[in-house]
Amino acid sequence: MPDGRTRRVFAAMLREEWRLHGRLFRGSHFALFPVLVAFVTAGAAGGVVWTGTAPETVYAGLHGLAVVFGLHTGSIGFVGRDAIDDLLGDLTLLVFSARTLPLSQSRLLGVFVVKDLVYYALLFLLPMSLGTATAVAAVGGFPGVASLVGTTALLWATLTCAFVLGMGATLAGLGLTGRGLPGRAVFGAVLAAGAAAWATGVDIAAYTPYGVFLAPTGPRIAATGVAVAAVSLVGAATFDPTARRPARTVGPTFRRWRRRLGDPVATKTLLDVHRSSGGFAKVLFSAGVLLGVTVGLTDLAGRITGVAPSAGISLGAMLGLSGFTTYNWLTQSDDVDAYRALPLSVASLFTGKLRAFLLLGPVVGLAVYAPAVVWRGGPVGEAIAGAALLVGVACYIFGTTVYLTGFSPNEFLFDTALFAVFSLAMVVPLVPVLVVGFALAPVSPALLAAIGLGSAVLGLIGIALYRRAIPKWTRRYRQD
Amino acid sequence: MPAIQIESFRKSYGDVTAVGDLSLSVAEGELFGLLGPNGAGKTTTMETLTGQLVPDGGEISVLGVDPVAHPTRVRERVGILPEKESPPSFMTPREYFEFVGAVRDLASETVDERIERWADRLGFAAKLDTMATDLSRGQQQKVMIAGAFLHEPALVFIDEPLANLDPIVQERVKRFLRDYRDAGNTVVLTTHDVDVAAELCSRVGIVYEGGLVADVRPPDLPGEETLLDVFLDRVDATVDGVAGDA
Repeated sequence: MPDGRTRRVFAAMLREEWRLHGRLFRGSHFALFPVLVAFVTAGAAGGVVWTGTAPETVYAGLHGLAVVFGLHTGSIGFVGRDAIDDLLGDLTLLVFSARTLPLSQSRLLGVFVVKDLVYYALLFLLPMSLGTATAVAAVGGFPGVASLVGTTALLWATLTCAFVLGMGATLAGLGLTGRGLPGRAVFGAVLAAGAAAWATGVDIAAYTPYGVFLAPTGPRIAATGVAVAAVSLVGAATFDPTARRPARTVGPTFRRWRRRLGDPVATKTLLDVHRSSGGFAKVLFSAGVLLGVTVGLTDLAGRITGVAPSAGISLGAMLGLSGFTTYNWLTQSDDVDAYRALPLSVASLFTGKLRAFLLLGPVVGLAVYAPAVVWRGGPVGEAIAGAALLVGVACYIFGTTVYLTGFSPNEFLFDTALFAVFSLAMVVPLVPVLVVGFALAPVSPALLAAIGLGSAVLGLIGIALYRRAIPKWTRRYRQD
Repeated sequence: MPAIQIESFRKSYGDVTAVGDLSLSVAEGELFGLLGPNGAGKTTTMETLTGQLVPDGGEISVLGVDPVAHPTRVRERVGILPEKESPPSFMTPREYFEFVGAVRDLASETVDERIERWADRLGFAAKLDTMATDLSRGQQQKVMIAGAFLHEPALVFIDEPLANLDPIVQERVKRFLRDYRDAGNTVVLTTHDVDVAAELCSRVGIVYEGGLVADVRPPDLPGEETLLDVFLDRVDATVDGVAGDA
């Protein structure tokens, strides 16, 4: 792209991203989002450190979050217009303009990725760094302005590297798996090498952006730089944005599944999840990410405090959050408009989603939880309470999400007020439970009974919110 | 009893008036065209008649049912082809028809027989087991048309039914619509294509800026006057540019 077109496209994409968020956030609300992010992260980090969790655990969690954020962000350019329409409505983004303008798709995607990096580093990662570093300093004793500025700058830099690592991993994963058997073999070998290194006790974390944040030594900086560059280069070299898949022909499945499930909307919803990219494995993967984060945090907390957290309670609480990702997958391929031509009420659509959720959500959560809790060990009572907690939290998060966002759980990402309400709704029940799991292990029978009772109450609140959501969204969808 | 009766229908989106004050009646067995330029209020009218939107005011009856009070009951009895919708991405056409049949309580044998008939009529038999996301726009439109008629309703609302179709399939759809009307059914066709409305419709209502500005029977137009002449006259526009305030 000669004549400064790259620069002009970059500026136009930045403006487009701002307007997109501005529209989704209903105008000026979006300008407040970085402020909210700073306050939420400060509140969460300060609260967790104040209750006895080591700051290193908080920073580790934050870097994990940045990697996951990177894995998801930027994928918008790779999932295709149909998926974007399903997600955000009828939109035409500049990244798709290669069809009508003399711009190559590869270059457009490259500019798109850099734009995402700049945009999210400034509007999300910077306030996260500022909020966390300030809160940790405030709780642990103020170290002085220069030290605080230095910590914030280093945290911002390493979080940005973690974000790039995630984005690069998405590109490299898609690129390699799209290159046939050799590509998949290389991808598998890299994963196997990582697993082997972890199993043999290699301190992988030391050579990640998190390791650089803890101790910015020359070897760590060099190793992290090489890893980030390598992942990004492999992604850029292997990913082909112009590749087209052949038309897929499949045998009729709907009628067979419906005979077992009964509800046509639930059947269609599960078929959507099964046939969209990643199949049912993506639901399992989302729960697996939560498992990995929980295991990492409990290990770190145990090493720092010398007290092993309760595996059952911490895993149950965290894996219950998979209720959100599962509902997200269940609504990824449709919206209310897709059913407007049919004699289906909004209530019957939500009923279909609830049935699909009940079939998939708690089952997936428990399928990940059961082997994990056996692996991590701990008292049987805590394992049982953790399982109850998982189901209760999953139902609670489902009801809360449906009540607040209807068929569009991604709204949380674009609406400051909704995000704040949702965060509060999650923090209020979960923080006390996580404090119990992390700081009060082994958990006493009385506390376990209270957690069991609390889980049932959470589940009932979730169902009540789901029921209240139906008239609310019936009115809303018929007015628009 | 008319198939559709509308009295003083109004609908706004915030400060924007989509439909101002619309009164209209469509008799059973008519192929009625709702014709108007982009943004005239056609789609809002159709979505309100089928219970998808709640009007700000007015009285509406569709096959004797109030779509505001009973939106699902209306949609049980009518067929709908929305302008923008496409079949679900991760279903095949065959599965989509089975889904529509399940929602509409049709027997499996009936659905199977109608799938074959529609696939033959519009020429998509070879695509019945292809994932909808991999179909062309034209093939998706054929599937949506068949889905709207699958339960053989007495009244159908079709929005730009010929979009993305090749000329051969367009002619097949036109022939089918005439036959469907001749069998005593009612068709409401929403379009901005004057030629399609003139060719197909026994009666055309021209909407402009949210109101009905003409109610025309194309076959009965006097002398050399065409539907295009009436349209251009009533929407206050010329082919060389916009006239008046429009």
